[in-house]
Amino acid sequence: MSAYTAGLLAEIGIGGIAALGVYVILATGQLSLGNAAFMAIGAYAAGWLTVTHDVGLTAAVLAGALLSGIVGVLVGFPALRLRGIYLAMATLGFGEMTRSFFLFFEPLGGAAGFSGMRQLQVSTIWIWLGIVLGVLVLLARSRLWLTLRAVNDDEVAANLIGLHATALKVGAFGMGAAISGISGALFAHWHLFIEPGNFGFERSTELVMAVILGGSTVAAGPVLGAGLLVLLPETLRFVADWRLAAFGALLILVLLVRRQGLLDRNLLRALTFRRRGAEARPEAAEVS
Amino acid sequence: MLEIEGLEVSYGPIRAVKGIDLRVGTGEIVALIGANGAGKSSTVKALAGLLPYAGRASWNGRPLPHAPEAVLRAGIALVPEGRGILQRMTVEENLRLGAYARQDRGALTADIEAQMDRFPILRKRRGGLAGLLSGGEQQMLAIARALLSRPRLLVLDEPSLGLAPLMVEQVFALISELRAGGLSILLVEQKARQTLRVADHAFLLETGRMRASGTPDELAASPALAEAFLGGIAPAA
Repeated sequence: MSAYTAGLLAEIGIGGIAALGVYVILATGQLSLGNAAFMAIGAYAAGWLTVTHDVGLTAAVLAGALLSGIVGVLVGFPALRLRGIYLAMATLGFGEMTRSFFLFFEPLGGAAGFSGMRQLQVSTIWIWLGIVLGVLVLLARSRLWLTLRAVNDDEVAANLIGLHATALKVGAFGMGAAISGISGALFAHWHLFIEPGNFGFERSTELVMAVILGGSTVAAGPVLGAGLLVLLPETLRFVADWRLAAFGALLILVLLVRRQGLLDRNLLRALTFRRRGAEARPEAAEVS
Repeated sequence: MLEIEGLEVSYGPIRAVKGIDLRVGTGEIVALIGANGAGKSSTVKALAGLLPYAGRASWNGRPLPHAPEAVLRAGIALVPEGRGILQRMTVEENLRLGAYARQDRGALTADIEAQMDRFPILRKRRGGLAGLLSGGEQQMLAIARALLSRPRLLVLDEPSLGLAPLMVEQVFALISELRAGGLSILLVEQKARQTLRVADHAFLLETGRMRASGTPDELAASPALAEAFLGGIAPAA
């Protein structure tokens, strides 16, 4: 495998995992524009553990995920008071706050960045992607996922049927943050050098874009979206300087034609030949 | 048995419910009627744990919990005004979630089938989005979903709102049928005449205060009813 192909595959894997973090949070109707911050926490925590304490990669990735998850829960509580665009702005603020923290936190390199990690294989990234995707696919069949969707649909109605909407929203925030933390930890051990600029607003936006483009109603959607975000600018090189503009136009076109994203349950069922009777389930755009 | 004394509900400085007493006995249909703005929905939202309140509320001799999920687990299910269905989920998913608070999930499938027997349209639409149902179908789904929590008291907030006359008749017939099955019902309505026809006891709420209460016949004969709805003009016979 060429270094170029390996690089693309690594970016798709890392972006796919991080986008799945956004997907979980979005499942409860919460839009996070700060998931790059959770990636940063996972990246720095895992990097610090492997470099300074010689911790194994798997343990370091899990520790990074745990720390990100805890911070996610802490962020999730104040975020409960906010909805829609206000929540998005608050998470954006959290993202910038975290980036600034790592910028001035000298023990982890500050503005000069942090390095010294040992490089992992692309296959390791994809194994993690497979694990996270597998867990979420199983989760999507569970009663818990049904309750998350109910909270997304109508929080008051969810409360009336006995769901603890607050716990579900905070839990989803924590889980989404932990998943993004895994992505960050892998990012650190693929790129071998991390700096606060890697985890800015632009990356958070890309993650949301991957979910919206690929599909916010099935777990495979964000991974597809992340893949397209990596591959499309590469395949559009024939339009030279206009490739990013062409990519933007393509993105708008997809959103106009398929508001729910490229992949949804019906399409996934058709692709996997799992047709359940003649009854097609109408699909609603679940991004609010 | 549900008993409330001196219930007060406020929205900031505005007192919507100003110290009312109410009682729902076992197996009774109790009507809470009143015009727009009387405080009916605020009362039931408070009882369901959706709004904070002052005063005393007890359920079977114990203090009524304040959190919505705890109220439901205690056996009180609210079908709110506007139905409160999960619009972007399927009919079947709505029904499955209706039983979320139940401890015994073994009989869930059979219970869902029983509700679909009661409301055949829900079986026909089970895979469709709940938001695509008609108003009457949504009301049936909301009631079926509430019944799946196996409540002992069903609180219905304006179940006839926005429905065609034929559908309203069906809803009131269903309420009588549910009572015959032993369920206690607190029925909040503006349609006073139809409500009084099915109720065992009725309370008339006016601008946050309990204006009158009694049997349906007593309330129907009371001038307070006409005053509350028509400002003192007696309704045509």
